[in-house]
Amino acid sequence: MTFLKKLLEFSGIHPERVRTRWVSSAEAVEFVHEVSEFVEDINKLGPNPLRAKAKEAA
Amino acid sequence: MSTKIKEAVRALLTEGKIKGFLGLREESGNVMPHLFCDPKELDSLSLGDWKKSGDTRYPLNQLMIQLAMAYPDETFAVLVRGCDERGVKELFKWKQLAEDRVILIGIGCPDELAKACECEKPFPDSLIDGPKGTKAENEKVASIDKLELDERFKFWEIEFNRCVKCLGCRNICPMCFCNECTLEEANLVDTGEVPPANPTFHLVRAIHMVGRCIDCGLCEEACPADIPLRTLYKKVGEIISKEFGYKTGFSIDEKSPFNIIEVK
Repeated sequence: MTFLKKLLEFSGIHPERVRTRWVSSAEAVEFVHEVSEFVEDINKLGPNPLRAKAKEAA
Repeated sequence: MSTKIKEAVRALLTEGKIKGFLGLREESGNVMPHLFCDPKELDSLSLGDWKKSGDTRYPLNQLMIQLAMAYPDETFAVLVRGCDERGVKELFKWKQLAEDRVILIGIGCPDELAKACECEKPFPDSLIDGPKGTKAENEKVASIDKLELDERFKFWEIEFNRCVKCLGCRNICPMCFCNECTLEEANLVDTGEVPPANPTFHLVRAIHMVGRCIDCGLCEEACPADIPLRTLYKKVGEIISKEFGYKTGFSIDEKSPFNIIEVK
């Protein structure tokens, strides 16, 4: 994961676009919190440059 | 500078310690790989310096793997530069070559070549002849690190878009020894299009270079589209070294990064 983030950063893709968290199946609240936070952060980052490219091609 | 190399190989051959020496020879103006089995042939030995130092290189380690498979009970010697030796050490770890079946005949690279390669260690431990050159700085990676995120994205987008998917980078790679390759699996990387999925195709290959790429640069030499692959894989090596403290091919005993859990 550390490696992937660094490699993405070098390729011009924001490293915060990938995230791994370990949440137990008994921790529903924790799970919701992590996902919500991720969605929030991703929204702040805006559209992925890769997606823009895919649209261009279509 | 080939005199000492010739002497060392001649001794190994006449004493019967090796079946053959995998090196290069010059014939009618061409430098090509050759398996020297008779000391008399050694006059035509070349170190791959044609017009300038190290300008004719071949993935000798790849041929070495073929030889080892065909003659598993024989011992061979092989000509190595610093990068090739790192490769052999990794190939020992990955069980592609047997440590007691390969003898290394090392040559050092002059500073000029080390600089062109931005090589971290331009000489092998098994150095028999040639200079013990100095480490060169990694300027190409640093120049990309300096760019803003979106500039980096554009840079690689343009570079990767030139890819004609000849797979030359993989085919020449002495560390790509897998029989089946992710790059040809439609379920893993989109196939049937040129340029191949950008940047997935190249990033997948980059990830597979973790703990393998020994920075010989043959991929970039082979690339017909001049994609700066070496710079990409140099970054892979840099991350592994900085984050996991692993230097690919520097030691036979060092654990592979796949075995390291804690981040240093």
